[in-house]
Amino acid sequence: MTATLTRADVASAASQKRRRRAPGWLAVVPLLAFTAVAFGLPAIAMLNGAFTVKDPTSGVSSYTGQNLTSSLQGPYLTALIGSVKLSAISAVIAALLGLPLAQAVVSSRSRALRDAVLTASGVLANFGGVPLAFAFVATLGNAGVLTVHLGLADHGWSLYSFWGLVLVYLYFLIPLMVLTITPALDGLRGQWREAARNNGATGVQYWRFVALPVLAPSLLGGLVLLFGSAFAAYATAAAMVGSAVPLATLQIADAISGNVLVGQENVALALSLDMVLVAGLVMAVYLPLQRRSARWLDA
Amino acid sequence: MSVSTPEKATAATVEFRSLRREFGATVALDGLDLTVRPGEFLALLGPSGCGKTTALRMLAGFEHPDSGAVLVDGEDVTHVPAHRRDAGMVFQSYSLFPHLNAVDNVAFGLRMRKVRTAERRSRAAELLDLVGLGDKGERFPHQLSGGQQQRIALARALALRPRVLLLDEPLSALDAKVRLSLREEIRRLQQELGITTLFVTHDQEEALSIADRVAVMRAGQLEQCAEPAELYGRPATAFVAEFVGTMSRIPGTVKDGSVEVLGQRLPVDGPAPDTAEVDVLVRPEAVQVRADGAGTATVVATAFLGAVVRVTVRLADGTEAKADLPAHDAAELGAGSAVTVSLPERPVLVAERAQK
Amino acid sequence: MARRLTPWRWAVLGLAALYFLIPMGASVLFTVDVPGQGITFDAYTQIVSADGFLSSLLLSLELAVATIAVVLLLMVPAVVALRLSAPKLRPVVEIVCSLPLVVPPIAFVAGIVTVLKWGPDHLSRTPLFETFVAVQNPAFPVVLVLAYVVMALPFVYRSLDAGLRAIDVRTLVEAARSCGASWPQALVRAVLPNLRGALLNASFLTLALVLGEFTVAQLLGFQPFAVWIYNVGGSQAQMSVAVSVLSLLVTWALLLALAGAGGRDRTASSRG
Repeated sequence: MTATLTRADVASAASQKRRRRAPGWLAVVPLLAFTAVAFGLPAIAMLNGAFTVKDPTSGVSSYTGQNLTSSLQGPYLTALIGSVKLSAISAVIAALLGLPLAQAVVSSRSRALRDAVLTASGVLANFGGVPLAFAFVATLGNAGVLTVHLGLADHGWSLYSFWGLVLVYLYFLIPLMVLTITPALDGLRGQWREAARNNGATGVQYWRFVALPVLAPSLLGGLVLLFGSAFAAYATAAAMVGSAVPLATLQIADAISGNVLVGQENVALALSLDMVLVAGLVMAVYLPLQRRSARWLDA
Repeated sequence: MSVSTPEKATAATVEFRSLRREFGATVALDGLDLTVRPGEFLALLGPSGCGKTTALRMLAGFEHPDSGAVLVDGEDVTHVPAHRRDAGMVFQSYSLFPHLNAVDNVAFGLRMRKVRTAERRSRAAELLDLVGLGDKGERFPHQLSGGQQQRIALARALALRPRVLLLDEPLSALDAKVRLSLREEIRRLQQELGITTLFVTHDQEEALSIADRVAVMRAGQLEQCAEPAELYGRPATAFVAEFVGTMSRIPGTVKDGSVEVLGQRLPVDGPAPDTAEVDVLVRPEAVQVRADGAGTATVVATAFLGAVVRVTVRLADGTEAKADLPAHDAAELGAGSAVTVSLPERPVLVAERAQK
Repeated sequence: MARRLTPWRWAVLGLAALYFLIPMGASVLFTVDVPGQGITFDAYTQIVSADGFLSSLLLSLELAVATIAVVLLLMVPAVVALRLSAPKLRPVVEIVCSLPLVVPPIAFVAGIVTVLKWGPDHLSRTPLFETFVAVQNPAFPVVLVLAYVVMALPFVYRSLDAGLRAIDVRTLVEAARSCGASWPQALVRAVLPNLRGALLNASFLTLALVLGEFTVAQLLGFQPFAVWIYNVGGSQAQMSVAVSVLSLLVTWALLLALAGAGGRDRTASSRG
């Protein structure tokens, strides 16, 4: 009964005032409420844990910066630096290799090639994780097909190393770069090339003085995105190297699954916070770059 | 390279010699021959796909002919790469480099030539003054209006003191008012610098009002190249007649070098076609319409155009013709009025009867 | 110009093809050419009967369906409302949907583990405790759906936002309304059909994310598909690689199907 009344009220109100309707923000409320619980709670728990220590005997918790300090020392610091180094190097290489690949696709004017490469990039950029690690283990691992057939082990090759990880990460980072940079390359107008030629620029000068400066925000933005993606990756590394290469993600996982000393969980949370800060910094660089490139290329 | 106020350049001659270019199955240029005189402002006019832009881009070095040659001052430049062509070009739109401000855009070519920074900035500033944007030098393209962007593009095209200025529909992306003022500005600049200029457009009014001569192109060939008044008054072909300005076709019969039309006998202008059944081509301002209760023609529609009213009449045989009448003469001619249509006693253009 | 670039382009494409195809080819070779056994397809034939294969795959698919349903139900009304009547909330939603990008999954799961520990630690005598137990039911861990929805937010938002940018929602809704459609009808009949490509794209990205997700599931101790592959890898190398190859092929097929289904939208937008 009440429900019927309410609906009738709403209906009559709506017919009286044609523009009146349920306020739009109501539709956004479920989303915000959901994120507050599903994302907010763990985030708060992480923050809270990162700043508390629990006395093992009395069970009393107190706030402290000690965890953060520990997370920036010893093996934790090594792991964090390892993560940053691995991500930075992989991202730079992927960007350097992804750009010419994307340019080859964009400049070819072949619709079929373009569709094929972009679809493949879409698949491969999502092909992280365990399957990727296993595919590389089968190829270049100790018993891998190439390792055995080419005798790579005799040349000191090991997939389970820093550079092995870089090689594997490139497998999803290069496609990610292609996907990121292709719209920017599409946005390079033919008129710019011709205007540059018309003003006496050679092909090299066009790239040096027009194309690369115009692409710079997108390139940097892509680089930052790749860094973030590599930085957050855990599954590939876990399935491949165990803990042979020190990485922040592996350290945190070890602490969570109780593979290390009891009481280190909160240091793991502090290390998580370190990672969030690094990733946050990266996003803070990315967004303004993104905006600038959109302004230049979408006009 | 000396830097000083722009002085009259030594104007160049441009010649297109039987240019031919095919893109797959479509023939963009089908033996184009055209000579542009030194210091002349020549408009290339035609419907889209007629090859006018291809011709311009060949002069700029962005397209290469399958056969034929492009000459500047008698020198064959067909195989000179685009960046050494010495022809400044203004594009349709959005050709400014988005990461450079106005000054740096204009100075871009000088930078490519390794001109010293101070020198190229002062030259760029001069050019910006020339196009009336001396105060906008530090603005970036996205901070400028479409008209301002095209002025800067014009300044950039002039920065290297080219021997030829190429304009590829530079006004088509602008709104009507800006288009008019920039058109006048381009003309003024061109006359001041005395630079040989090619201007591609599909807008016949634009071409007629700005150019010394207009070259009408169709299907990769030149139809007619003449001064605007001649092009309008004495079009060489029916295509030119109907593409330039408004033209009505009224059926007539040719006999002994004159044509019978609307009960009048008028001399034929130029050579008469072989067939007897022809269309007489008339401009709206040449068609006389008189209210006449006994007339065999009726008014179909009227459109007020300001100084004149354009009256569409249907003749006895069903043909429609357009006439421009002074507004006060047209007042009594509502749709449905019976009228008599006549032509002035002057030679008329005739063309083969159009297929209906 | 274009002709001169060709050798350069083929070199780049060739090298890329080598790098991306060799691991595939080698993986296939690895699974069929087993040392001491010669060519055998056992690795593939044994998959279906392998312990835990079906149950983990099924669990992953169920999780994917639930995640897609929840994330679309949350996001579609929100992003449409942002376009129509609440543009001021746009930056808020944009930030909320970008936050998961800042928090790596490993950090996120560290937070989740901490929250889940509150259950036994602080809430054991309250009704909330039941909830904590329920969300961690190993048969269908709701907590994973919650986590995956959060992780999918950035991709889904971007996809839907791009889709909405391509159409003029306001005009569509007003046109539908002026033709006599009610609000829900206008949304379902006028807006959603035009978002088909974006919805499919968002669904695919979410599906790919859930099927491949390993970090959160493993650290919370559940066994969906990716975790199962990982566990099998320890004992049956051939089979784990075989499953990896298959999972790539399945992703590929899904994406191609998506491209086919959304193909018309794509060409329409690329021409626009």
